[in-house]
Amino acid sequence: MSKTIMVGMGDYKVGKAPDRLMTAGLGSCIGVCIYDLFSHIGGMAHIMLPNSRESKATGNPAKYADTCLEMLLEDLLKMGAVKSRLKAKMAGGAQMFSFGGKPPILKIGERNAEAVCQELAKAGIPLVAADTGGTFGRTINFDIQTGDLHVRTINYGEKVI
Amino acid sequence: MEVPALWIEALKEVGNIGAGHAATSLSHLLQTRIEMTVPRVRLVPLVRLQEALGQLDATKVALYLKVMGEAPGKAMFILSIPSAQLIARTLLCKGELPDIFTDQMAQSALQEVGNIMVSSFVIALTELSGCMLQPSIPALGIDMIGAMVDSVLLEEGHLDDSILMIDTILSGQGDMKEMEGTFLYIPAEGSIEKLLGVFGI
Repeated sequence: MSKTIMVGMGDYKVGKAPDRLMTAGLGSCIGVCIYDLFSHIGGMAHIMLPNSRESKATGNPAKYADTCLEMLLEDLLKMGAVKSRLKAKMAGGAQMFSFGGKPPILKIGERNAEAVCQELAKAGIPLVAADTGGTFGRTINFDIQTGDLHVRTINYGEKVI
Repeated sequence: MEVPALWIEALKEVGNIGAGHAATSLSHLLQTRIEMTVPRVRLVPLVRLQEALGQLDATKVALYLKVMGEAPGKAMFILSIPSAQLIARTLLCKGELPDIFTDQMAQSALQEVGNIMVSSFVIALTELSGCMLQPSIPALGIDMIGAMVDSVLLEEGHLDDSILMIDTILSGQGDMKEMEGTFLYIPAEGSIEKLLGVFGI
């Protein structure tokens, strides 16, 4: 029996095929999946901010790209994933609101996406697919078995990356 | 953060006064009697936000504006799609429910209604606290609730501690009964203490 594991805001979860991982309503946040297709192990993180070092009140380390990916990677390896086989996909990082057509000074969605790319590169994990940016929300569902990431939106349909 | 019971009482008062103002303005605008009740007022810590919002990818209409002044913050008013359609139809004097995803007149009407709603609550905060607050013009979003709230929360690149959440029920004549809306106020650091400090709490 396959079940869907829900990943909350600023949280991460790991699982084994045939389970699926899901996170709902990504705006500026990023949903990252890291997976090992051969051993059928995968994890998903719902990242809210780029960097734990820039924040005054740190709190939950799973909110930040740097600290969260570190923890997720550690858990995946503990479960038996092999680091050289790991791949990553991500979605999110939108800019939902703009005032009078002016983009805000801090493009937090864009910065989140950049931070995730950087952290993945640092860990030597190839980012094989991404669907980021835009002005709309996304709900993502990851199939650990196949490595397919389903990205659903309200006005822009659904796609698989 | 443990929220003192007195704070909640004070915030309830803000909710009731805001709802009163909003109902009066909305009744004038829609040319029909609108009543508004406030079943619940909460100060929601961030860790509990997800359960307070419900299903994060539910489609909702959100009006977002920034509040400048002595106790700055960000304010949102959230409506369900059916409620937004009913309000837009009444305001535009249309027979059919408009498609709010594509109808620009409907979107513009909702923006105006949202402006009134949010301003009413902001004025209530001003009246009770004595803090000068100035709302900006609103931005309209129709999308997943979680996505809209997270991008507002994270806009400045950090997370605020807690959110003031005022649940409201709007009711009017006929099919305008029982429309639910939620007012959110995301105070900047120190703003909530400033707002409530005036009550001597």
